Amino acid sequence: MSESARFVLATLCGLVIAGMVHLSAVLAMPWLSENDAFSRLAGTLSADRAQIVAAPATGETWLPQPDPNLAISACAYNLADGPVRIATRTGRLFQSLSFHARGAGVFYAVTDRAAIRGSLDLVVMTRRQLDEILAREDEEDPSRDVRIVAPSSEGFAVVRVLATTPSQRQEAEEVARSVACTIDPLPGAPRR
Amino acid sequence: MSAGAAPAVDGALPRPATKRRAPRRTSTATLILYALAVGAGLGLSSAYLLVRRDFPIGGVRAGPWVAWPRVGSREADPYARAIVARRGEVPLGVGEGLAFTAATDSAGQPLTATCEYRIGSVTPPARYWTLTLYDQTGRPALGDLGRAGFTSGEIMREADGRFAITLARDPAPGNWLRQPAAGPVRLVLRLYDTPVAAGSAALDAASLPAIERGVCAP
Repeated sequence: MSESARFVLATLCGLVIAGMVHLSAVLAMPWLSENDAFSRLAGTLSADRAQIVAAPATGETWLPQPDPNLAISACAYNLADGPVRIATRTGRLFQSLSFHARGAGVFYAVTDRAAIRGSLDLVVMTRRQLDEILAREDEEDPSRDVRIVAPSSEGFAVVRVLATTPSQRQEAEEVARSVACTIDPLPGAPRR
Repeated sequence: MSAGAAPAVDGALPRPATKRRAPRRTSTATLILYALAVGAGLGLSSAYLLVRRDFPIGGVRAGPWVAWPRVGSREADPYARAIVARRGEVPLGVGEGLAFTAATDSAGQPLTATCEYRIGSVTPPARYWTLTLYDQTGRPALGDLGRAGFTSGEIMREADGRFAITLARDPAPGNWLRQPAAGPVRLVLRLYDTPVAAGSAALDAASLPAIERGVCAP
């Protein structure tokens, strides 16, 4: 093989390798990033209350381009410890709740329109935990929980409360602060 | 003499020449290293350049506004996921709302702090909306007045429900937003609880506020 042909071949191999490196770098970024929302919220994994991420009054937040009218609270979860129940009370302020899987984005979102008797109450779990709950459930008395199956075991829930006027900011922050994220033990014997 | 010397020279010279050229021929190991360097360099730099920018796929454009509805859904593409992770962003879910960003005015000129703008006068259907002005660092342009935008609940409207916002450095009557001192600016219109996010409402430039440029400081 001539010298230039070898060089061209090496360059083509380099381009193919570049394509693979590019793809794997993009795919790995959500998992390697240390600035992503999950990494920043990792400290809330064991907390029972959501942590305030953005408060409209002070404006201090790590979120890029935050909406200054929103009070945002979030809590991270790891479903290996059991299903997680997110409970928030709704009032006259607009409120929305979204679930984000680590590295995979939003997988469920609702607004306060879905609230029942002034509270939004959802349980997030893995497919396996859902099967286990369904198997043990009393058919005569089914649970009224809203169950959401998460695509992966790690993620976080985010509650946004909108203050449409500055006078509502304090109230919005209090609502966001009162969001509870607790582990809901599986019925029967504990798994671990 | 000369006839006898010539073949000797011809026969002797090419052989040392090929022998001397052989070590100069690029070794296979060098070529492999070269291919790996090209691969790592191009692959990493192209990935880095792409995730530093706006979402490359799935943008919905309407006049100066652009939104990425799929970023807030399960169908988010790998680039969107990488960009969200790099920025540390928490995107709005499709069930929550949709954010429209404008970096230019309706004529396509980049938005800048030294110009005055008039923004109006309708928004797509939504339960609530907020419009926020950001300075070049990506933070809300709160200024000394502590106001970086308006919400649907506090804006002053005409009798027919239309509104107009004046973006200027100096105070103006009506809905006035103060421009930051300098640099490029961005506007973000967030619709909360909107049928637009799920794609069930039509979107065109006429259903979103127009951004018209006024006087510019020299």
